[in-house]
Amino acid sequence: MTKFLMGAAALVGLAALPQCALAQDAMATPGKAVSMVLLPKFLGILPFDQAHKGAEEAAKELQNPTPLQFLGPTPQNSVAGQIEIVTNATTQGAKAIMISNNSGDQIVPAAKAAQAKGIKVVTWDSPIPSSEGEDVFVAQVDFSDIGKVMADMTLNLTGPGGGKFAILSASPDAANQNAWIAAMKTALKDPKYAKLDLVDTVYGNDESEKSYTQAQALVDKYPDLKVIMSPTSVGIVAAAKALQDEKLCDKVKISGLGLPSEMLAYTKNGCAPEFALWSFIDLGYLTYYTSYLLATDALKAEEGAKFKAGRMGEYTITKDPTRAKGLRILMGPFTIYNKDNVEAAAK
Amino acid sequence: MSAVGTLKSWEAMMLALLVAIIAFNSVGSPYFLSVGNFVNLFQLSIEKSIVALTMALVIIGGEIDLSVASVMGLAACVMAWTFHAGVPMPAAILAALGAGILAGLNNAFWIARVGLPSLAVTLAGLIGYRGVARILLEDRAIGGFPDWFNTIGQQALIGPLTAAIAIFFVLFIFFAIVLHGSAFGRLVYVVGSNAQAARYSGVRVGLVKAALFVGSAFVAALAGILYAARLGSVRGDMAEGFELDVITAVLLGGVSIFGGKGNLVGVGLALLVILNLRNGMGLADITGNTQNYVIGGLLILSVLIPNMWQELTNKWRGRET
Amino acid sequence: MNWLKRRVRPEQIRELSLLVLILAAIVFFGSFIDNYYSFRTFNRIASSVAIITVVAVGQTLVVLTRNIDLSVGSIVGFTAYFVGTLIASHNGINPILAVAIAIALGAALGVVNGVIVAWGKVPAVVVTLGTLAIYRGVLVDLSGAKTVTTDSLPQWLIDLPLVNVAPIGSLDIRALFMLALVIVVVFQIGTTYLSFARRFYAIGSNPEAAQLIGLPIKSVVFLAFVICGALSGLAGFMLLARFGNITVEAGRGLELSVVAAVVVGGVNVFGGSGTVTGAMLGAVMIGTLEQSLFRLGISEFWLDAVLGLLILLAVASDAVILQRLRQLWGGAELKLMAKETDSVSSEQSASPP
Repeated sequence: MTKFLMGAAALVGLAALPQCALAQDAMATPGKAVSMVLLPKFLGILPFDQAHKGAEEAAKELQNPTPLQFLGPTPQNSVAGQIEIVTNATTQGAKAIMISNNSGDQIVPAAKAAQAKGIKVVTWDSPIPSSEGEDVFVAQVDFSDIGKVMADMTLNLTGPGGGKFAILSASPDAANQNAWIAAMKTALKDPKYAKLDLVDTVYGNDESEKSYTQAQALVDKYPDLKVIMSPTSVGIVAAAKALQDEKLCDKVKISGLGLPSEMLAYTKNGCAPEFALWSFIDLGYLTYYTSYLLATDALKAEEGAKFKAGRMGEYTITKDPTRAKGLRILMGPFTIYNKDNVEAAAK
Repeated sequence: MSAVGTLKSWEAMMLALLVAIIAFNSVGSPYFLSVGNFVNLFQLSIEKSIVALTMALVIIGGEIDLSVASVMGLAACVMAWTFHAGVPMPAAILAALGAGILAGLNNAFWIARVGLPSLAVTLAGLIGYRGVARILLEDRAIGGFPDWFNTIGQQALIGPLTAAIAIFFVLFIFFAIVLHGSAFGRLVYVVGSNAQAARYSGVRVGLVKAALFVGSAFVAALAGILYAARLGSVRGDMAEGFELDVITAVLLGGVSIFGGKGNLVGVGLALLVILNLRNGMGLADITGNTQNYVIGGLLILSVLIPNMWQELTNKWRGRET
Repeated sequence: MNWLKRRVRPEQIRELSLLVLILAAIVFFGSFIDNYYSFRTFNRIASSVAIITVVAVGQTLVVLTRNIDLSVGSIVGFTAYFVGTLIASHNGINPILAVAIAIALGAALGVVNGVIVAWGKVPAVVVTLGTLAIYRGVLVDLSGAKTVTTDSLPQWLIDLPLVNVAPIGSLDIRALFMLALVIVVVFQIGTTYLSFARRFYAIGSNPEAAQLIGLPIKSVVFLAFVICGALSGLAGFMLLARFGNITVEAGRGLELSVVAAVVVGGVNVFGGSGTVTGAMLGAVMIGTLEQSLFRLGISEFWLDAVLGLLILLAVASDAVILQRLRQLWGGAELKLMAKETDSVSSEQSASPP
């Protein structure tokens, strides 16, 4: 009996072998001329420049003779500008468009038109909420995890006694920030965070001045506020300065998502003892690899597909659990910065 | 230079510029001269072009309407909000148009009846109407409109033209007739040149201005609805900042900011110039920021160069300016 | 009363009516908000108003001559960023020199505006709409998307907004607000008593007459734009000091707030009347509304709608009060002139200079 079973197992194993061979990672064939467009939310802030750097690094490795186009709108005209760039790229016959989507579902008609022409639409950093018009979303981190991390950091900063905190976000229409805030609110339902009280959510529109005055307004309105959580790199810096100017850094702490190079001083002086981020360079690198593979038909945008993205290793396309529909590539964990590691990262 | 002469030369200049830009674009990008691209060229800014028509009338009438972009956003948000509340789409669209008319009546009241400067009133409207749009939508986006609505906004309906483009042409002809061929149009010019003299001549200046502002807001609301159809979803910040582009197009079209001068042909040509220029730059992968200051420079040069030319020719002829 | 009527014109009482409105607003807010009547509130409003006020003073001069400067936001951003980058890379720079550079840079940008408006005879709205885009565009292209961050700035600059210049009891008058006050006082005295300054008013209220008299219209208009640019440059420095973190988008949209302040402050957009004090009061009015509405507990999403409504009411009540004052001031004759002037000032489109 055992022999028979072992034999059967061996047969099954042998039969499975070809499947294993087929399921190996998709590999990129370097040197193909693929015209690609990297389209951030808008031009002018460091995170997107870092993503550009990462993408260029990937482009060099893949020896793509067609240079990468790094195009973006002005912050004022972000939505109309992104739609225009996608439309023009479609006209010009680009093979892949990589977009950090600031236009919510308003980009869907343009994205679908691009897909209709065979263009691969890959979102990064901020997806298309309905996932229509999108081939796959390269997520820097799991969006629900961000919610938990933000909740954890808040609890760390208030101490076990809990307390009042507020959120200073970017624009009220920013899909990624909204998703992270929603994830945080869900995470807060856990009894672990019962003592945390979210008193308000305000918007700084990714403008330094507005974020600064909003932070001031928060401490005015809620004198016993303990933490301001700001999941935007512009907001967190401005709020930190506001608290510093008000000399409130002992009473009120700031946290959220920020760039080490911009937050260095505030972490060292205690205004922002803890904050988090991921590598935008890595995100750009991975997005480029993904798009190149898709555009050269080496990879199909479907659940379960695996591929190797250069120095970053192996990735699998999965369903995106944080949206109703849509596929996702999860880049990886993020880093919590505090005074121990912020200086090294700021270089 | 006679009025007719000045008119002719501005349009001629715009036309020459347009031809030059189209020639340059055709050389610059193989994708430029295609029907698809021309449709895109219009579509991407069609709502601004529509609003520019009524803005031209308002400015010729001696006033300004800074609130048009906010009315666009407000109308779109009213439509989305009422639709989301369960109202059938056609009724939601009517609600949006109604909101536009209300905004226009509000502007008209303070400007034409109370006599406040239009800059102040429409500036308050720019802030206030956007605020109302935000009250309705807060931080949500509302989409999921019926297919027929999205099709009207996005698909070609009449040949390669979309509904919005067709509406633009219809409105262009309509307002051209109103401005240049009707008694009301003549009144607009008269009121724009000298409102006081007009009043003494028995013209109902208040009524003319009221009509201008209600018309401006109504057309802005229509443009907002078309924009929502093109985008497939509505947000509180829709069309934010559009007023500057609209005013730029009107001024480039030869309409004098002081009122009483200008015509729709110039505005039409200016729109074509701007659209083709932006499209050409976009196809050359020039970003929005650079596009903005090229257009800014064009705007200044369009007035500066003829002025300088006039100075020079006057000097040659021995005249003093 | 008659003595008063002879000495003071209704327009000069405009500031008083605006002041009354501001006090009314403060009383209104104070009755709803806890701890409203505190020095912190004063500082909030003062700091937020300081920068706008300085630019509004310059804008007033331009508007008096029947022009407008829409490029102020871009000038402020340009100088803030440029000077910020300069200071960041040369930490030891003399503070006075830094301020001087900011003012000079702003003035240079104002020169471009002034030249094209005065000698190019291009309408101000066209020119400044163009330079709004050009200055901002050049800034973005040249800057390489870097942000000026506070840790690269010297301590004196970071501490500047906190410097307490004139403590009155426990009320701090901070440096930036003091600077704004000084500018307003200087320019108010200048425009009231300097005969040269009268030219701004003359040119704005009646360009043809000014031409016939032989006033140097071009030079005066040019000067207005240069001063406006210089003050915007100074405001850029103040922006840098206050916020520290300057992106290439700094100052974007500032022109809207400045025009709102000037308009609410009673400066006639058709030129010829209005004061820098009025512009400051306009800025204070709007600043008070903005700072207080949020604390009233009104939802974030209601703020702008309420603000728009209140600005409208401020302008309307100001016009009504002025009308009443005029009626009070004169007999039937003045009443008739007032009606004409009111309707002229609201409907008149300026005949081209």
